[in-house]
Amino acid sequence: MKNNQIIITINSIEDREKYQKLGITKFAYPLADFCVGMPNVFSYAEVSEDGYLFVNRILDNEGIDKLKDILDKVKCKGIIFDDLGVLELVKDKKMEKILFLSHFNTNKESIRIYLEYVDSVIVSSDITYEEIKLINEEFKGKLTLFTLGYVSGMYSRRLLVDNYSKFHHLKKENPIEIIENDVKFLVYENDYGTIFYHKPIFNGLELMNLDAQYYFINSAFLASDDIINLLNNTYQKEFDRGFLDKETIYKLKGE
Amino acid sequence: MPELLAPAGDLERLKIAYLYGADACYIGGKDYSLRANAKNFSLEEILEATNFAHSLKKKIYVTVNIVFHDQNLISLEDYLNKLKDINVDAVIASDIIVVSLCHKLGLEVILSTQSSILNYSAIKFWQSLGVKRFVLGREATREDIIRIKKECHVELECFIHGAMCTSISGKCILSNYMTGRDSNRGGCAQICRWPFKRCDKNAPDFTFMSKDLNMVEYIEDMINIGVSSFKVEGRMRSVYYIATVILCYRRIIDKIISHTLTDEDKQYYHKVLDRVANRDTMPQFYQKFPGVNESYFNDRIEVSNQDFLGIVIDYDEKNKLITLEQRNYFKVGDVVEFIGPNMDNVTYTIKTIFDEDKNTLDVARHPQMIVYLPFDGKIVKYAMMRAKIFDK
Repeated sequence: MKNNQIIITINSIEDREKYQKLGITKFAYPLADFCVGMPNVFSYAEVSEDGYLFVNRILDNEGIDKLKDILDKVKCKGIIFDDLGVLELVKDKKMEKILFLSHFNTNKESIRIYLEYVDSVIVSSDITYEEIKLINEEFKGKLTLFTLGYVSGMYSRRLLVDNYSKFHHLKKENPIEIIENDVKFLVYENDYGTIFYHKPIFNGLELMNLDAQYYFINSAFLASDDIINLLNNTYQKEFDRGFLDKETIYKLKGE
Repeated sequence: MPELLAPAGDLERLKIAYLYGADACYIGGKDYSLRANAKNFSLEEILEATNFAHSLKKKIYVTVNIVFHDQNLISLEDYLNKLKDINVDAVIASDIIVVSLCHKLGLEVILSTQSSILNYSAIKFWQSLGVKRFVLGREATREDIIRIKKECHVELECFIHGAMCTSISGKCILSNYMTGRDSNRGGCAQICRWPFKRCDKNAPDFTFMSKDLNMVEYIEDMINIGVSSFKVEGRMRSVYYIATVILCYRRIIDKIISHTLTDEDKQYYHKVLDRVANRDTMPQFYQKFPGVNESYFNDRIEVSNQDFLGIVIDYDEKNKLITLEQRNYFKVGDVVEFIGPNMDNVTYTIKTIFDEDKNTLDVARHPQMIVYLPFDGKIVKYAMMRAKIFDK
């Protein structure tokens, strides 16, 4: 196993200890006020020096200013981020930079360009196993593969659960689960927006057969025992392979 | 001068948009455009459109804004080269490979709203790659725009009217999950307009559909804070919608420039714009965070607008006769209104309708039938006849 190449977001410090027993050594800390879709977050002071900051919000100017202050104070190994504005803040800092530009990074040439600016790029899980394999071969040992966890199907800056609850005069529940045509989503919001996670959990552990730099696990809304069972191949619940076997339709008029 | 930027799904819409006051249009090619369901333009049509735009001293931008998979890259550089040869004014892109290739080829790039930019720091990154103009995320607030303008001195293009994604643009793959169509490659099935059941309890359907955008109230303020280009959404909208929306905003901008825009004007344009849309319109993120009022929560019936009665295809000044192509039912006695480029709105009571053989008719009931209307006044080709709804 390549568990020492896994980077996993953690929900608690206790989880970290459990994962360490499996040989996992790289932990990402969802940073309070800089994440969406993450029910458990950490202040920058709680981030360990060998940890990674996890910042998946699309940031406004105020967010950029606040993050800049934190980056001047925090001691950490690296940062995983979505907003390219973060790149400008960390470009001269001695920390590992991993770009998680969700739903982008689906082709070699764009990844080649981004690798001029960062140490690794998380390849989108919106493409097939074969596509990921070919991209990964091109940059052997430089890429990070999204391997396990809930995948965001939509990120809105609106407070969709709050608005829905207010309109219908319902006691607010957060998260909620919704379904249409047998497709389920877990919907969770915080002050910075709403994430729709596709259900069930994405299990792309076979991507660990590819020779990547890191294998990324998003543990949001997952119990550490479930993740451990998944890694040990003893998971009994339903899971999903996302688009690994299903190429999405590139719809062209006239094709 | 602020630029009024119109959508155009085909050549007819493009010409109407320019004639009704757009300073520039954005179009999609048959490849690489995020509105795969629009008719879109072949390279020959892009050439014709570009020549038409430039003959009017106006600009044209081509969207190449899908998120590319490797298989889509094969002909990309060749395609961009052709756009350069055609002499389009800019390409609208979000994928960094398109930005990079455009830079290499000497093509101007406008960074698409798909790139979800809400901060000055992201702008600085893209500036370092040669991008000079940006379409900010639709979630950008007034304060965001002011700060970005102050820090970066870039050209900013902002949406002012039309449909809104519920998602941050580029951050939604609901279509991929629900239909297999790739939303970031032109296949968006507008899943955010679907109701979902709650699976954890018996509760009302979960809906999350945004109302449309309307910035009539804030155009003057947007000009003052340095927005360069005012963008209307809707490459799949009708010619009548395009004409009406562009004409309204053309007149609003012109009146702002000449310091003659009144509250009464704004109320009138609000009414006209609300009438032509099939959804309610709101300012959304500009001044406050959108809440309950900016979204829909119940099933809604979208009623198609029947106001568009016909388009003027000729005017015989000698015989004082309009040639009109019918679009919706009208009859003798109806009070209608002509709107058009470079003319004031004209109220007109239909007293006589002639068919193509100059026989009189009581009613024009067939779509695209040609009829003649006696008219003594100033009217221009491509003027539109609509139901008279509001006084102004």
